[in-house]
Amino acid sequence: MSGHHPDSKTMFDSYIKVASALFVLTVLTWVAALDWVPKSWGEAGNTLHIAIGLLIAIVKAFMVFYVFMHLQFDNKFIRAFVFVPIFLFFVLTFALNVLGP
Amino acid sequence: MSSGLSLAHEPVTKVAHGKLAMWIFLASEIMFFTGFFGAFIVLRNSNLELFSHSAAELTKGLALLNTFILIGSSLTMALSILNLEKGNMGKFKLFLGLTILCGFGFLIVKTIEYSTKFSHHIFPWTNVFFSFYFLMTGFHAIHVIAGMIPMTFMFIKAFTKKGYNHPVKVETLGLYWHFVDLVWIFLFPVLYLIFPAH
Repeated sequence: MSGHHPDSKTMFDSYIKVASALFVLTVLTWVAALDWVPKSWGEAGNTLHIAIGLLIAIVKAFMVFYVFMHLQFDNKFIRAFVFVPIFLFFVLTFALNVLGP
Repeated sequence: MSSGLSLAHEPVTKVAHGKLAMWIFLASEIMFFTGFFGAFIVLRNSNLELFSHSAAELTKGLALLNTFILIGSSLTMALSILNLEKGNMGKFKLFLGLTILCGFGFLIVKTIEYSTKFSHHIFPWTNVFFSFYFLMTGFHAIHVIAGMIPMTFMFIKAFTKKGYNHPVKVETLGLYWHFVDLVWIFLFPVLYLIFPAH
């Protein structure tokens, strides 16, 4: 315990809020994946589906990192353990997909 | 705790040693799953037809149910830590028990999902999509089981005469458990949802 956390009532409220938001965003992910894009959009429609799905997942991930895993209170140095691997993920995926054969 | 050198906390980040070690481990875990996600994206882009037909075989409803179960377990885990810090042992045991139950629930749903696949003659060697489906969800399920083992240990200890009063240990396990939830947050849309029906 780093001792910088607010009182437990505030923590309780933020856990409940984040969990509710995660439930709502999960339903939203589901709805966004339904077949609502006109067929005529072709490949652009697929890209839109993927972009929305991943964008919601990223928002959910940061809620878990910052609230449940206490990144918002812990020393900023700890954030390196999240952002450095994520940066490497983008480098790898970019290299494989764009620069690859 | 007074200023000066504390053996319980790492001096630069001021977090407990165990928690710092868990963050280092989680950084390596992100890279572990990165390899799978990276390879999956590349293979998907070169096998669009195969991937969208194979993904249509998956049971999206069960995956949605499992997402709800894991988010619920993350909440109960956070609440159990909060109650242990307050010294509220009864609620600590209640929420930790609920977290373990959610873990079992997740594994039961996963078993139903796998056995449905097997009964439809879908196996890891069926095609490259299912290789990745079983590999990624399988490794994730192993992570769930690995988290439940120390959790059960803490839960049982809480009922002994001595009780269980190590909030930092439970918090460290909590970090791991939230991470397992986080991996599923990405597995759910990537494997089950981003293949619109044709």
